[in-house]
Amino acid sequence: MFAAGIDIGSTASKAVILDGDGQVKAKATVPIGTGTAGPERVFGQVMELAGIARDDVAWITATGYGRFSFEGINDQKSELSCHAKGISHLLPGTRTIIDIGGQDIKVMRIGDKGQLLNFVMNDKCAAGTGRFLDTMAKVLDVEVSALSGLSFQADEPAEISSTCTVFAESEVISKLAAKIRLENIAAGIHKSVARRVASLVQRVGIQPDVAMSGGVALNSGLVRSLEEEVRCHIRVHEDCQLAGALGAALFALHSMRNCESYTG
Amino acid sequence: MADVKSLLAQFEEISKNPQKLVKEYVEAGEKVIACFPIYTPQPLVTAAGMVPMGIWGGQCNPQLAGKYSPIFTCSLLRSCLEFGMTGVYKDVSAVVMPIICDTFRGMNSAWRAGVPDIRSITFIYPQNRKDPGARDFLIEELKAVREALEDISGNTVTNEKLQTAIRLYNRKNAAMRAFCRTANDHLDLVKPADRHHVMKAVTFLKPERAVEMVSELTAALNAEPVHRFAGKKVVLTGITCEPDDILGYFDQCGVAVVGDDLAQESRQYRTDYPSANSGMESLALHWFGVKGCSSAHDDNNTARGDMLAAMAKEAGADCVVLCMMRFCEIEEYDQPSVITQLEKAGLMSFSIDIDQSTSDSGQALTKIQAYAEN
Repeated sequence: MFAAGIDIGSTASKAVILDGDGQVKAKATVPIGTGTAGPERVFGQVMELAGIARDDVAWITATGYGRFSFEGINDQKSELSCHAKGISHLLPGTRTIIDIGGQDIKVMRIGDKGQLLNFVMNDKCAAGTGRFLDTMAKVLDVEVSALSGLSFQADEPAEISSTCTVFAESEVISKLAAKIRLENIAAGIHKSVARRVASLVQRVGIQPDVAMSGGVALNSGLVRSLEEEVRCHIRVHEDCQLAGALGAALFALHSMRNCESYTG
Repeated sequence: MADVKSLLAQFEEISKNPQKLVKEYVEAGEKVIACFPIYTPQPLVTAAGMVPMGIWGGQCNPQLAGKYSPIFTCSLLRSCLEFGMTGVYKDVSAVVMPIICDTFRGMNSAWRAGVPDIRSITFIYPQNRKDPGARDFLIEELKAVREALEDISGNTVTNEKLQTAIRLYNRKNAAMRAFCRTANDHLDLVKPADRHHVMKAVTFLKPERAVEMVSELTAALNAEPVHRFAGKKVVLTGITCEPDDILGYFDQCGVAVVGDDLAQESRQYRTDYPSANSGMESLALHWFGVKGCSSAHDDNNTARGDMLAAMAKEAGADCVVLCMMRFCEIEEYDQPSVITQLEKAGLMSFSIDIDQSTSDSGQALTKIQAYAEN
């Protein structure tokens, strides 16, 4: 039998299937999140990749913003717990996790077994989030994935507010009007996000090793800016975007095993 | 004696329907004075023969308030202004507004411009509480409040009436503290939202009725067997912890609220009015006895964090939840030092956003759930 984790975020859906030994059987990501067909699609994809049917999955744990709305799950866990579990599995030795999600930022301090010791999250504000990056990319008329490459070619990063997405958007438009190079604006956007995130990191207190979780971690330009702000090396795993789903799958595996031992 | 469940239901009804109570008071020929948070000298209102009622705004998406109050204004005061401007508070005879933070300074002008039909009685609490002149200054401020209340009620507030009212409020404080202690032995019966409804309802009740009802509830709880709660326990701090959804999340995640430092709840019952030469002096000295409060300056910036740590440990809680009223600068200023002191004491803490202009509290659930899971 298999255990599955599904992470239904605000902008993407991710899923991971583990076999009975805890090995990753399949993983998938769909770039649309809660309230869309994304969760069903990603779950269909991951089962297809694993070559299994839904009946082969003994336990499904959901996490993320849309964790309460997915049909047929066995239980749900907060994304904080799942990112802590997932990153601890992918990058053992991690003590601080930074997760920039679609609509929030989380900074977690974890123990040696991946247990959550403390955390901070931004409150209802898009500044510094993945949504902020999406908005800025739209203003620059580039794909969000292009921001990283652009920022590496900057020679003088622009100064952009880290207070509010709306203010920052106006600033970026002003920079464009002032003919500031796109590369410098992209680097300024990363710096703006990094400053916002760094203030949260300071609140929870940084303890090495530091790792980044979530899809935004794939933006190496942003990771570099963040390293400069927090003055610390940040580890990024290639499966960083799947960390929440993996954590959920690990919780599912644990529940599945408990259930098996209970039922004999 | 009524059972706990029906008594809690009464508090919930009052907590959720203060307008009904205002109507009853007014129909009975009584005048109602709305009291902005926090530390409004309510004994003066009672001594003047009127009914003091707390006002705490409420969940609304302000439309009219934006005329005088920018969006980056304390969420609670903004909704109070909205309710004032839309007639929700139309039956009250006046509002008493203590200027305890910068937002209140602007609110004073905004109220006068936006709600001209409801008289505003304002006064200033001196923040330099160690200055020898602060006591005399505050007594003069309170005299102005007294005069305004006498003018509205047509009654004279004698020292005797005031001292009697002060004793009544100290009894109310004691009753509230006793309820909180007792509730912790019955966390199976008093859920976080129930606890909140009791605390909030009391801000709408006449003090003598509050003492009577809360004492009856405490007695009913004491008659029940003590419950050993096995789940996680937290202490809340901040201005308010509303709406009910948020308190429901604690219950949903198996977390109990075993203490609070909320301005809407225990903070106002923590400090008694001390003995003094006169009632007016007692009201003034009360302010100088306030400790660990974001609205009362303290040279010792660890005082609030230390107080919360002690409160949590005494109640067996391992976490303090900071209920951050959106755009409340005084609470924001306190947050870093509070967190530092809690961490030094080996306690966990996290903040949740309290915003009266939106009903979306999904992030609060995520945080509470994450705490409960670990």
